[in-house]
Amino acid sequence: MKEPVLLKRVGKMLDPTSVEEYIKYGGFAALQKAAAMNREDILGELDTALLRGRGGAAYPLGRKWRHLYGNNDTPKYIVCNADEGEPGTFKDKLLLEKDPLSIVEGMLIAAYVFGSNDGYIYIRGEYRHIQAVFNQAVNNALADGYLGDKIIGIDGFNFNIHIVSGGGAYVCGENSALLNSVEGKTGRPRVKPPHLADVGLYLKPTLVNNVESFACVPAVINMGGEAFLQLGTQDGGGTKLICLSGHIKNRGVYEIQLGTPLDEILYSDEYGGGTATGRPIKFCHFGGQSGPIGTSRQITGRRYDYGDFWSNKLTVGSGAIVVMDDSVSVVDYITNVLKFFVHESCGKCTPCRLGTTRLLELLQNFQRHQGRHGDIERLKKMLEHITYLSACGLGQSVSISVNSALVGYRSEFEACIS
Amino acid sequence: MDTRKREERLRIIRQSEAKPENILEILINLQFNSEEGYIDREIAAIVAQELHMAETRVYEIISYYAMLKDKPEAKYVLKICNSTPCHFSRSEEVCLSLKRKLGVPMGETTEDGLFSYHYIPCVGACDMGPVIKIKDTVFGNLSDEKISSLIDDLRSDKIAV
Repeated sequence: MKEPVLLKRVGKMLDPTSVEEYIKYGGFAALQKAAAMNREDILGELDTALLRGRGGAAYPLGRKWRHLYGNNDTPKYIVCNADEGEPGTFKDKLLLEKDPLSIVEGMLIAAYVFGSNDGYIYIRGEYRHIQAVFNQAVNNALADGYLGDKIIGIDGFNFNIHIVSGGGAYVCGENSALLNSVEGKTGRPRVKPPHLADVGLYLKPTLVNNVESFACVPAVINMGGEAFLQLGTQDGGGTKLICLSGHIKNRGVYEIQLGTPLDEILYSDEYGGGTATGRPIKFCHFGGQSGPIGTSRQITGRRYDYGDFWSNKLTVGSGAIVVMDDSVSVVDYITNVLKFFVHESCGKCTPCRLGTTRLLELLQNFQRHQGRHGDIERLKKMLEHITYLSACGLGQSVSISVNSALVGYRSEFEACIS
Repeated sequence: MDTRKREERLRIIRQSEAKPENILEILINLQFNSEEGYIDREIAAIVAQELHMAETRVYEIISYYAMLKDKPEAKYVLKICNSTPCHFSRSEEVCLSLKRKLGVPMGETTEDGLFSYHYIPCVGACDMGPVIKIKDTVFGNLSDEKISSLIDDLRSDKIAV
């Protein structure tokens, strides 16, 4: 990309936690600008930008903020979901470590809009060293008057950020489970509705956004909603951080404009550079474990954006792109995915707890070439059961990857039936 | 438990503000500070007492979060990521290398109490799989030779994690 938006400061700042360095590269300009704006206008810019949630669900951020804005209960809490645990996803880590103050600025703009005094950032337990970096950034911001009382000299603009560590539970990335964990409970999801914007942290209205989403907010304010939209497509504005992993040559995090041709992402030297093994790409797994698998035919000619992906049964999700070459059996791959879900199912609801286990057992039969006649239909039935009866997104989305594998590579499953 | 140890633990609990909301943070800090890398009965009892909660509630948290342990751990627990990006970047070979080098199967501790290894889900280092994570440090792009020298270096205290 010619002009990075989210990564413009990454690698340039001598000390990423330093307020002075952050300001030198354009930091806190958006906060100053926002503080001079009418709150409605800020929401208007976010609506125009069509910034979709970068954690995976792709819900328009402007709409989420409006929902909270319409609730008159106080206090309102601002929560940043930094529980990045989705396999194949490591982009939030980059922002947390290399440009933490951009996240702080995004949260500050939210605090200004909602009149919040308290913010929380829930950072996954595995990122312990990054918690220390973020803590330093928060302390520096506090010392320079960008957190604490009377922020940038405005009376009544008081905001603090509390850093909370996760404990190694993937399901805490689910927003309601995350809030339970912040409250010191076991991090199991709540039954929704009510929406967290109405009944969230300590049963008060709460905004929960992903790290990258918060980091996008200053960019929207700086350039204006329309310019941000233009960076992407009509289905979603802006740039997106993508994570290339698996058998791709140049593994890593890249910032791309939404709408970039997928072939360019996978094959150009600027990004993926083709496979490391020299073998052809067999499939890509998009957006994390709960995202769909795209066959080589399905991914050819795609543009990497929300609309083109959705209309081809793919999703952008978290931005993960796990690339597999033609040496990989799709049955082996999807069995490994299921192992992950079995491990991470929180156990609260039976369809997910037992359903994922039974699914794994069935898939392992396929893997051993001991599938029986009717097992594909059985598999489909179980998937339907888990999707419709599970209480949260974890169980509900298990079927997406398995179904996409079944649709794309049915013959490979049939070949495993003895 | 001797007084010095108790004082140290109370200090860790109090640095986080001793209230039930902070239990996860407190337990993680206590575990990182413990010699054998786990929450023993005595630690759990102090936490329960200081946060005014039942010991069963403390164990509910310990048993729920994967990072928290209720049994002693080896000095170096080598955690091998086996989520899909790493699994298909030869993470199984990492296990075979470790088995050869350490002479114990997965999940068991070497006789000297120094090493054990097991699989864990994604650690967010998919750009350098296969990886081993030890405490806060990730070792990536591993090969049989690299694993062998990693173990030697840890054994001879040449590198610290």
